[in-house]
Amino acid sequence: MLEKIKALQQEIATVKASTLEDVDALRIKYISKKGKVSQLFAEFKSVPPELKKEVGKAINDLKLLAQERINQLRETFESGLEEGAGTDLTRPGESMKLGARHPLAIVRNEIIDIFGRIGFTVAEGPEIEDDWHNFSALNFPPEHPARDMQDTFFIQKDPDVLLRTHTSGVQIRVMERTQPPIRAIFPGRVFRNEAISARSHCIFHQIEGLYVDENVSFADLKQTLLYFAKELFGEDTKIRLRPSYFPFTEPSAEMDVSCSICGGKGCNVCKYTGWLEILGCGMVDPNVLENCHIDSRKYTGFAFGMGIERITMLRYGIKDIRHFFENDVRFLRQFESA
Amino acid sequence: MKISYNWLKEYIDIDLSPEELAEVLTDTGLEVSSIEEVESIKGGLEGMVIGQVLTCEPHPDSDHLSKTTVDIGGGCVLPVICGAPNVAAGQKVVVATVGATLYDGDKEFKIKKAKIRGEVSEGMICSEKEIGVGTDTSGIIVLPENAVSGTKAKDFYNLESDYAIEIDLTPNRIDGASHIGVARDVAAFLKQTKDIAYKRPSVEGFEPDNQQLTIPVEVLNPEACPRYSGVTISNIEIADSPGWLQNRLKVIGLTPINNVVDITNYVLFETGQPLHAFDADEIKGGKVIVRTMPKGTRFVTLDEVVRELDEKDLMICNAEEGMCIGGVFGGVRSGVKNTTKNIFLESACFDPVFIRRTAHRHGLNTDASFRFERGTDPNGVIYALKRAALLIKEIAGGTISSEIVDIYPNPVNDFKVEVTYNNITRLIGKDLGAEKIKGILASLEIKIESENERGLSLMVPPYRVDVKREVDIIEEVLRIYGYNNVEIPASVKSSLQTSVKPDPNKLKNTIAEMLTSQGFNEIWSNSLTKASVYEGMKDYSENRTVKLYNPLSSDLNGMRQTLFFGGMESIAYNANRQNPHLRFYEFGNCYFSKGVKYEDNPAGNFREEEHLGLFVTGNKEVANWVTPEQQASFFQLKTYSENILSRLGFNIEGFDTTESENELFSEGLTYSLPGKNIKLLEVGIVATKWLKKFDIENPVFYADFDWGQVLFEQKNNKIAFAELPKYPAVRRDLALLVDKNIQFKSIKDIACKVEKQLLREVSLFDVYEGKGIPEEKKSYAVSFILRDDNKTLKDKQIDKVMQKFISRFEKELGAQVRK
Repeated sequence: MLEKIKALQQEIATVKASTLEDVDALRIKYISKKGKVSQLFAEFKSVPPELKKEVGKAINDLKLLAQERINQLRETFESGLEEGAGTDLTRPGESMKLGARHPLAIVRNEIIDIFGRIGFTVAEGPEIEDDWHNFSALNFPPEHPARDMQDTFFIQKDPDVLLRTHTSGVQIRVMERTQPPIRAIFPGRVFRNEAISARSHCIFHQIEGLYVDENVSFADLKQTLLYFAKELFGEDTKIRLRPSYFPFTEPSAEMDVSCSICGGKGCNVCKYTGWLEILGCGMVDPNVLENCHIDSRKYTGFAFGMGIERITMLRYGIKDIRHFFENDVRFLRQFESA
Repeated sequence: MKISYNWLKEYIDIDLSPEELAEVLTDTGLEVSSIEEVESIKGGLEGMVIGQVLTCEPHPDSDHLSKTTVDIGGGCVLPVICGAPNVAAGQKVVVATVGATLYDGDKEFKIKKAKIRGEVSEGMICSEKEIGVGTDTSGIIVLPENAVSGTKAKDFYNLESDYAIEIDLTPNRIDGASHIGVARDVAAFLKQTKDIAYKRPSVEGFEPDNQQLTIPVEVLNPEACPRYSGVTISNIEIADSPGWLQNRLKVIGLTPINNVVDITNYVLFETGQPLHAFDADEIKGGKVIVRTMPKGTRFVTLDEVVRELDEKDLMICNAEEGMCIGGVFGGVRSGVKNTTKNIFLESACFDPVFIRRTAHRHGLNTDASFRFERGTDPNGVIYALKRAALLIKEIAGGTISSEIVDIYPNPVNDFKVEVTYNNITRLIGKDLGAEKIKGILASLEIKIESENERGLSLMVPPYRVDVKREVDIIEEVLRIYGYNNVEIPASVKSSLQTSVKPDPNKLKNTIAEMLTSQGFNEIWSNSLTKASVYEGMKDYSENRTVKLYNPLSSDLNGMRQTLFFGGMESIAYNANRQNPHLRFYEFGNCYFSKGVKYEDNPAGNFREEEHLGLFVTGNKEVANWVTPEQQASFFQLKTYSENILSRLGFNIEGFDTTESENELFSEGLTYSLPGKNIKLLEVGIVATKWLKKFDIENPVFYADFDWGQVLFEQKNNKIAFAELPKYPAVRRDLALLVDKNIQFKSIKDIACKVEKQLLREVSLFDVYEGKGIPEEKKSYAVSFILRDDNKTLKDKQIDKVMQKFISRFEKELGAQVRK
């Protein structure tokens, strides 16, 4: 009996098939109800009890081997690949499109992540704003020349409703509903009444940041921004602050980072200055805090805001802002790996 | 605003290069955007040398030309033919050598080796006008004896290049809108490291010469004109300005006009105080009145435009009529002309808001209005007036023919501000020390009135319109101390914040990443669109469009109500560039006018909804040997869409799905939650009329998620583990012959109703219409998965369930089971 099993074992291990039909014939020959292996089970009854254990195991192993071998042969045919038949594996694989995130989404997410790691949460606000949140509460008095700094799209006048010109209005909305500490960033779309060209567009995107608590200082602002610059542009990045003016911060500053393209040596991207202007920032003006019913004697804070397009253009060497909103797949696909 | 480097050096003795100066200016908040080298003489006298005429004889073939030889040094002697009447041997002259360029206005003339009436000429002996050092055209320049041959003309004339430094002035820093203002700030900055001061030209010498032309002034609107001063100058002679004055103005981009006008401009850019000169003989009634005029009064400004005045426009008038829009723009009649003999010179301070409103109303932005609307120094008015009067007297002649009239009813004093050292340290994050702080304040001309150990009581001069509060003082201190000199702390100061759950940003990214890996490209489209797109639509009706009050163009005069059109535009754009096989998604806001009016919350009249749009069109994948060519389909997009909902925790079976009525679709489905009349998703086949409108050939399938609602409803998503089934499931198939109008949904609904307990899944695995079955029928091959949680199902039980299904399908749907 054991010899018979051994013989079958050898036979099965070397069976060959050249078509799927052959495989089926083998299945019938060995493991169908009347197949050779199944017959062994019938003969098993006459095996002496002391051998039953050993023989039983052998038959079972044989059955498994047969099944495995047959399945193996079947797979070869079903997958269209003959074993060791020199299939051309360099043929292309099945087509499967890979999409891409929009470059502005990629950079926006990265910035959100960077600030998220030091405890900034994310909030958003409306794009259709009133005068209070876009201007007045931010310390732009009526008839102030600072309003000329931003060309505004109005929806209606008196009372004014407009498309926000910056994300700074979200600062106001957040401070109106929350007392400090406040530590958050506000990404979003903003609008300027500017003709569309390679360098400017009527829509673009900003990320605004705000930290208000007791004893928040200009030194803290610098620390946060240096951390941000290093995270976004690389460990060796340096920052430089220049005095500037925004009605809602005092003092106000523009921040430059050392040019990531030439490393500060000077190139055509940084106009040979070694520096790139990246964001505006400053200490929240006490008037703004008071407009939101926050005690400016107790609390101080800093705020900053940056354009996502500008950073994205620098990062990827994009020269024309219109690419972002034309949605040309030849452009979009370049960001597959980002 | 442009600053001349050389001009600035008249007020402050600096040894900085233009680039170093630019850095200082930028560091103090006067940001330099460009530095441009300006030659005071066009061409910079390049190629011109001093020579000596060795020989001079008449040209053999001309009665007015001379044939000369000129020694230009270095042993080089040139033959030069000269047409000037005054040329003679022995003269020292300026020679333009071969290759040099002469300029006459915009015309250029290059010196070449030439033959003039048969005689060789290798250069040209020049007149003042020809090389731009003067206006004389009567003959060549004859230089003094001691001029050295071979000297470059630019060295001989000590020609100095100037630099125009462009400053991007922020609205708060009007104190820096003049050369003296810039010098003052530079001095304050440099004083921190060295002993330096700026100086203003003296006006000590100002003295009226007589009283022969006194013009009284009356100010009727003191609220608009806090200070008005003037003086007359008689018997002047209007002429071109001298070269140095013209050069100063040209460097900063102004065109010289005549001596008086040029001096008013010069003093404006020197001191920051706008001035205006009136022709005194045009001041009817011999009197100046500062007042408003009735609305609709016509007035012709200097640019010869007839303007209708507003009753809030402040006018400088004579006894009969307006002469000048105060602080904004002069009138055509009262201005200084070539024939003007006597002038009334005005120096005043106007209210910023008044000026700004007037300038806006008339669309005017002048050097004067720019300064007045930002706030000028009321206490600098007289200095500028005296300075200009002295210059006019010096350059245009005449006499100062009246005392200064000065209407200044409420003198503005220094502004008092208190600061504490504590607050300075708290805001800056560094203790600068009292001495340092006091030093900086002194360099800024901010006086310390009193002090104690806690802080200072300060007096701020009124020209610093931006320094009114403690925080403004801190800004000044920090600005001069240097933003970049504040050290960065080593440890982070933070405050704990809890975030919104679920995090909308995270969910958006989850879905975006999922779509991206399924071959979708993320698109971002303009929120602004053509409002007329929505004309005649019912689901996105025109009167709900948010329209812009001051649009950029008629193509971008409204806001989108749907992401659909932006996506279609992108599809057309790409299809036109040989990319018709596309999958797109966009997250973006849609905007609606509610058609109501909340007076106290005007923005509440409008609504924003965030949507997610999905577009598929063209082939599913690029066909190749192993991938069949297959068109994108509604059912493909349906699965993408449903997967998004599943990914967010919605049970697809739990939605009410109805046929969409949306006009964007020829056919489509709407997904809403039972009991709530809120559409979360619409997915459909884009109607042909839209394909035609965008010239798109392939069918397009579009899905629209009301993302805000999806997130709102998603809040209830909870995952609770259910025990794994212990007993096997069984599958039974039925081939049903049904009328073509019968929906799969009906089959499924009936099955679910009939067998609530055991039925786990109903699926459609084949659809057949055509040969072998009646025309009005279709065959649906449906599979049913049954499972009992508590035992293995027996055949008998299964058959019973199936029998129930069959009889209900027959009864309710008229179905026949195909054997």
